[in-house]
Amino acid sequence: MREKLPLALLIIMGLFGLAYRFMPHPGAEAFNSYLRDTLLRIISAFALILGLGNLLLRHAHRIQKREQDWVHSWVLILGFGLTAIIGLLGGVAGEGSLPTKVGNFSFNITDIYNGLLIPLGASMFSLLAFYMASAAYRSFRAKTWLAAALLLSAFIVMLGQVPLGYQISPAIPQVTQWIMEVPNTAAKRGIELGITLGVLATFLKILAGIERSWLGSGR
Amino acid sequence: MNWDRFASLDRRYIFLLMALVIIIPILVPMNITMGTMRVTQDLFDTVDAIDRTKQALMISSDYTPQTEAENHPMIIALLRHAFARRIPVLINALYVEGAPLLDQALKQVTAEFNARATSHADSIIYGRDAVYLGWQPPPIVPILSMGQSIRGIYPVDYYGTRTDSLALTQWTHNYDQVGIVVAITSGTSPLWYVMYAQPKYGVKVGGGCTAVNAPDFYPYCETGQLSGIMAGMKGAAEYEALVAEKFDLEDRRKATEAMASQSAAHVLMMVLIVIGNIAFFATRGRKS
Repeated sequence: MREKLPLALLIIMGLFGLAYRFMPHPGAEAFNSYLRDTLLRIISAFALILGLGNLLLRHAHRIQKREQDWVHSWVLILGFGLTAIIGLLGGVAGEGSLPTKVGNFSFNITDIYNGLLIPLGASMFSLLAFYMASAAYRSFRAKTWLAAALLLSAFIVMLGQVPLGYQISPAIPQVTQWIMEVPNTAAKRGIELGITLGVLATFLKILAGIERSWLGSGR
Repeated sequence: MNWDRFASLDRRYIFLLMALVIIIPILVPMNITMGTMRVTQDLFDTVDAIDRTKQALMISSDYTPQTEAENHPMIIALLRHAFARRIPVLINALYVEGAPLLDQALKQVTAEFNARATSHADSIIYGRDAVYLGWQPPPIVPILSMGQSIRGIYPVDYYGTRTDSLALTQWTHNYDQVGIVVAITSGTSPLWYVMYAQPKYGVKVGGGCTAVNAPDFYPYCETGQLSGIMAGMKGAAEYEALVAEKFDLEDRRKATEAMASQSAAHVLMMVLIVIGNIAFFATRGRKS
């Protein structure tokens, strides 16, 4: 029963999702809207709780077992707890029941977003430039003709993606555009078609009950 | 020449060089001329062609603070374009993390235009000229539901005001009143609109993406499923320039300001790759 009920639900919903596209009946439209606008959102809310619960349990486990860098898990748990309390009780801009200002120092959820999340997020992403430069210096080698062709096209695209390329020659951005529109598009289409066929095959296997690993059965 | 030293160069020197070539052009601004990629021009032309009496521009966003530097100037440029042309704007967020950034962008551009306004009619009025619909999860729900009813899926806006009380959302019922959805993304949200909303409701879709994601979108520009894109910070800078030139605006253009840094960083990368290759082949030959 633990397997049959979810499988039956999946098959019914999967078949409806497939058939709905070919049913112009208003009842089918209304039922689809109900599934999408109501049930999907309830499931999403539970998924959020499940995800957060799993994250906290995982880090609590790390602390308990004193795993490598377990102190970092405290940062996550404390950060999560403090932000949740400030957000839930302090209001969006400090208008809630929890005081979020000490003297001139304000720490409501908007301040945390503007003062911590934005700079930290931007810093993390900007580090990519440094690591990419270092990795490219060490690893990007023209060992074969194919690697050399890749290197050459990378140079053209890199130049075409900045105004300097246009200043060197207006043809460089045009060649960049050609690389993106022709060889890149050809490769992308091949990849996309492959992925889509894989998704379709997996969908059919799940719908037919052949693929059941999502039920936790291990098959 | 001792290439061994280059072959085993301490990466901290690379970090230092990269920091310098990024910081110096920011401190010493340079005026760099640039062309316009066709995909950027296409997006600009599509937005510019919206019949403002019948349709609005919808700006949809799923970017997060991580890619603010690349994506935020795109939102600013689009808002300036729409406000300069007096095209009404609907804004929504597909992910909660980026929702406050849209609020900041809307307030910034509204303040810029209102500082120049000479009358009430000339001003940008929230509710009449722009509405920030806020965030509704999960993304597929608003993307599909807006085809039936925008007010239905967004009963209140970002600020808690009922959308049936706002002038703009009273006449923008669904995608029929949306000239184009421009999805600004650090992922692939323009493709969600292409996959789900466009086949069913026929809405035009454009995009603004990080440079690293741009190759994903070109195939859809080729087929016309995407009306155009802003590809990375250069795309944002191109759009900024198009708007500034057409409407004679002199507001700050952050993506354009960053172009000198980006140019220098790309050149440094290329120089490093060339040196790395020379060092590799020089030392490999000696070792063998």
